[in-house]
Amino acid sequence: MDISKDIEKIKNFSTEVKKNILEMAFTAGASSSHFGGALSIVEIISFLFSHKMKIKKNNPNWIDRDRFILSKGHACLAYYAALCEVGYITKEQIKTFEKDDSDLLGHPVINRKLGIDFSNGSLGMGLSLGIGVAIALKKNKKENNIFVILGDGECNEGSVWEAAMAAPNLNLSNLYAIIDNNNFQQTGSNKEIMNTDSLYKKWSSFGWETKEVDGHDIEKLCKIFEESEQSPKPKAIIAKTVKGKGFSFSENNNSWHHAVLSKTLYEQAKKELI
Amino acid sequence: MDNKAKYQKIFIDSLSIESAKFNEKIKYNEIPEWDSIGHMTLMSGLEEGFKIALETDDIVEFDSYKTGIEILKKYKVF
Amino acid sequence: MIINERNIKVWSTIGSRATFGIAALELAKEVDNLMVLTCDVSTSAGLDRYRKIYPDKYLDLGIAEQNLIGVAAGLASEGFNVITTTFAPFQTIRCCEQIKVNIGYMKQKICMVGIASGLTLGNLGFTHCCIEDVGILRTIPGITIISPSDSLETVKALEAAIKSDKSIYIRLTGSSNNPIVNDKDYTFEIGKSIKLREGKDLTIFCAGAMVYNCLEAAKILSEKNISCSVVNMHTIKPIDKDAIKKASEKSKLIVSVEEHNIIGGLGSAIAEYKAILNNSPKQLIIGVDDIYSKGGSYKFLQEKHGLTPGKIVDNILQNLK
Repeated sequence: MDISKDIEKIKNFSTEVKKNILEMAFTAGASSSHFGGALSIVEIISFLFSHKMKIKKNNPNWIDRDRFILSKGHACLAYYAALCEVGYITKEQIKTFEKDDSDLLGHPVINRKLGIDFSNGSLGMGLSLGIGVAIALKKNKKENNIFVILGDGECNEGSVWEAAMAAPNLNLSNLYAIIDNNNFQQTGSNKEIMNTDSLYKKWSSFGWETKEVDGHDIEKLCKIFEESEQSPKPKAIIAKTVKGKGFSFSENNNSWHHAVLSKTLYEQAKKELI
Repeated sequence: MDNKAKYQKIFIDSLSIESAKFNEKIKYNEIPEWDSIGHMTLMSGLEEGFKIALETDDIVEFDSYKTGIEILKKYKVF
Repeated sequence: MIINERNIKVWSTIGSRATFGIAALELAKEVDNLMVLTCDVSTSAGLDRYRKIYPDKYLDLGIAEQNLIGVAAGLASEGFNVITTTFAPFQTIRCCEQIKVNIGYMKQKICMVGIASGLTLGNLGFTHCCIEDVGILRTIPGITIISPSDSLETVKALEAAIKSDKSIYIRLTGSSNNPIVNDKDYTFEIGKSIKLREGKDLTIFCAGAMVYNCLEAAKILSEKNISCSVVNMHTIKPIDKDAIKKASEKSKLIVSVEEHNIIGGLGSAIAEYKAILNNSPKQLIIGVDDIYSKGGSYKFLQEKHGLTPGKIVDNILQNLK
């Protein structure tokens, strides 16, 4: 099967997502934004929204859509950017990012009109929500899947492991947990703050169908998701990523966890995108 | 109605057992109707029916139709 | 549910937890999309029978309360009518932030039932008592809080909660042989308190298992020629402001009695509203005086914390001087 067309489509989508991220980060101005952690999931979220997930452009409430939860809610720049590319949020609306009274804040706030299905931001809660949705989908005899993106720092939270223990017990084959393993959290690297060591070993010991993948390699993402599909277990995809990926000044630089994008850097970033 | 007949009726009513299903060998937790909720309902029915107040120890010990008869002797029902 | 004299008596004997289990069983017959979620407390919540008869409408998530709320919210978001239950402190405090985010902020509709709240399990120590739940949940916008006065009211509250489009916390107090406050069927409306006794000197506001104690206290006071109104304030949030206003106009003293810390619960809720009224009388807040005492039986703890009818009477008499 010729997946090169799909890869091209996803790559283009990613570029547009990055453009939107830049716009929002710049709009945020002095309020700054969670730039680094959004960039590490660009390819993942693009893969999901332009290819893997069963959704309809311009129809955020389609009842037969696959579901998505951004458990690491602070990466919302990437989420809003993707929602814009599928027509749920307009280019005008993304300019209101973090402005007074905005629907688009620094963490997602539930808004079904904009395709934001849940409020997130307090870490460690999204996977439990995902379990509830996965159970409901099965009870309603829907073939849909639910995709949850978590952070590696987020895996410090005990509530993540409550959910991780429950999902295999409940045989939730329609549940995907994608862990954005960019090796950093707010104050420093995972190793410095709270070493999560091998996330692969941990998730697979809990009973998940666990895979590791380069989270920026679109072809590999396609392959790994296809390989996991048939497993009756819930799926954990440990995506090895780079925080701040895509721009020379932000790659692997943890100052970009939450920072101001100056005009100079904004212009530089736009040039790097071309 | 004598007390034996009354005792049987209380069992059948409180536990909502079909008369045909009832026999004197029934024991707590051996039939679905006589679970923890059924048990408390039965105790309540016996207290009401015989105008007695069962002691906690007796409620705990009361684990079969036959044991119940022995226990109720203490309360002068039998 | 069939509400008759026999059932009321049975429910009183078995207590509010087992009554909740029976009520859930009846609800499962009528409510297609009902789901009851627990954290390893089937027997304690009277749900053994429910679990066996409706396994598809039941989910035990093990001892993981944070996951409980998230899963409940996920189910609710897809159209299920969800009840969660475990012991009150774990139902409310352990997963407090999940309650804030999923129920308060995201407004996913869930009915939470906190079993054995107050001082019922005092012989197990204060880890298994709950004198904080009302205070904590009151500060989360969007959650109705109901404290049923007896087993029949537990049934009424649950039925109302399932029909409501709001999230509700039902706080179950009392043990088995739960005294009967409501001896026949009546109209239960969320947010509308019920005046159980009319009196002209003072008004006692109460909720949960304390309602019975307050009715007994009122009887003792009437023998001393002190005439009390007793109001069952079963819905602590939103509080029945009208009832407070009316009582403040007529009574020389307002009393609130709760099986809860005096900080943050029913008494505080009343005081918050009373504070804006012109010319309202003094309020005596009776409850646990902000302390984790040594444990003991339910009766022992009621005595210790001034919640028995006799102790309530003494406290009121002191404050009437």
